[in-house]
Amino acid sequence: MRLKIIVTLSVLAGAILAWNLHRIFLQVPDEASQGAIFRIIYFHVPAAITSFTGFYIAMFTAVGYLIRRDLRLDSIAASINEVSLAFATITICTGSIWGRIIWGIWWTWDARLTSYFVCLLIYFGYFMLRRAIDDPTTRARLSAVLSIFACVDIVLVWKSIEWFRTQHPGPVLEIRGGGGMAPGMESPLWWNFLAFLMLATALVLIRTRQEAMRLEIDALRRYANAF
Amino acid sequence: MKFLRQTLAIAAKDLRSEIRGKEAVNASVSFALVILLLFSFAFDLEPAVIREIAGGLLWLIFAFAGTLILNRSFARELVNDCLDALLASPVSGAQLFFGKCLANYVLIVIVEGISLPFFVIFYDVIPQRLALLFLVMLLGTWGITVIGTMFSAMTVNLRLRELMLPTLIYPMLIPALIGAIELSRVLITGAPLADSLFWFRVLVAFNVIFTILALALVEIVLVG
Amino acid sequence: MSPQNFNFMFYGFTVAWLIIIGYVISIALREKKLRQELDRVKRMVEENEQANTRRRP
Repeated sequence: MRLKIIVTLSVLAGAILAWNLHRIFLQVPDEASQGAIFRIIYFHVPAAITSFTGFYIAMFTAVGYLIRRDLRLDSIAASINEVSLAFATITICTGSIWGRIIWGIWWTWDARLTSYFVCLLIYFGYFMLRRAIDDPTTRARLSAVLSIFACVDIVLVWKSIEWFRTQHPGPVLEIRGGGGMAPGMESPLWWNFLAFLMLATALVLIRTRQEAMRLEIDALRRYANAF
Repeated sequence: MKFLRQTLAIAAKDLRSEIRGKEAVNASVSFALVILLLFSFAFDLEPAVIREIAGGLLWLIFAFAGTLILNRSFARELVNDCLDALLASPVSGAQLFFGKCLANYVLIVIVEGISLPFFVIFYDVIPQRLALLFLVMLLGTWGITVIGTMFSAMTVNLRLRELMLPTLIYPMLIPALIGAIELSRVLITGAPLADSLFWFRVLVAFNVIFTILALALVEIVLVG
Repeated sequence: MSPQNFNFMFYGFTVAWLIIIGYVISIALREKKLRQELDRVKRMVEENEQANTRRRP
């Protein structure tokens, strides 16, 4: 049953992405000032929203662990954080390439990219903490608390870096300017977001099962060593 | 009242132990002076430019030197199972945490107070509005202390404690550090303060939010 | 579609796909390693239990 869900989600996600790529390349017109490169926004922004959604769902799952003390919730939280970290990496890499074209440099301390980099660092710390703890219960407990701190902090980081950038203006990666995008141009973005969400869910399901396997291995090893 | 009395008892214990030994404060002040020296090689600039970046340099020094004190905060209790004894005592996790926070705060402020005159002399930076600068130092230091003490509690039983603490806390501290750096820069260069009042709010919001969050969650971290 | 910046857009998409594919491959490798270890530990537990039952006739 679980395998069927994973396969269905992946195939649907792949189909949407393929159909969208066709739309992005052939149907959407070029943006006036940026040329072809702006199409990268169709990967950059959905990846960003997917990863942020993931981090916050993982925080609520972590809170669920602290309330119910079910290690499966901890496995789910860790898996969601890991998949979100992968999507955050995609966000930063595509943002960097976008910046290379628009501004000629590989990295701009643009508010969004900087905040994402901080996010990345915080969650690298999260996984470092998880690796440093052997006992599953302690690991679950401490990473849940760290997850809560991280998600509260990310809001403050975002706002403060944004305000810092308004006071010290620098290169900005933006497509909208004043209002939104033209209506025809915006819908592939949301379709890609849906595809990314489905892909992320499939990956989370696979990872959660792997975490459960790891817990089973630890339990069996302890049982074997007890004799 | 009982909360405060027991908290102050913990804080007094830590401060008394540190004042008698003076290990952490000495190491921290030495470290701050070494960083000041290294910065002088790294940033060999004209006085006007130095004044622009002085806020940033100052808070980098405070953040790095403060970590030495924060690291020892819970680690000093591991010897002779003192941490277990404290957790088994009637003192609650929140009281233990808050007491250590207060002690760390006093120690870090002492280190900052000793480093600031050296900074002023070495870089020829005379802050215009000293009282406000002290206020910024007090606000910013509380942010560093709260997050640092909380993560010190989290990492106390890990092998790589000294490595993990800086890695975990510096990204978390970015809103407080940006706020403190910006306010310090404005106060040192003499720029108009009106544009930067937002950063006071950021600092206060950061301190309030994370103090409440830490007090709420520290029992889970320490005990389970 | 204008040729302006076409190369970099291609690089951008390639990077995104490479990261996704790389991550999926790393998950698959981890799965294989975990399965092997699970089988090994299960065999170890079975051997232990057989040794115990033989010792207590």
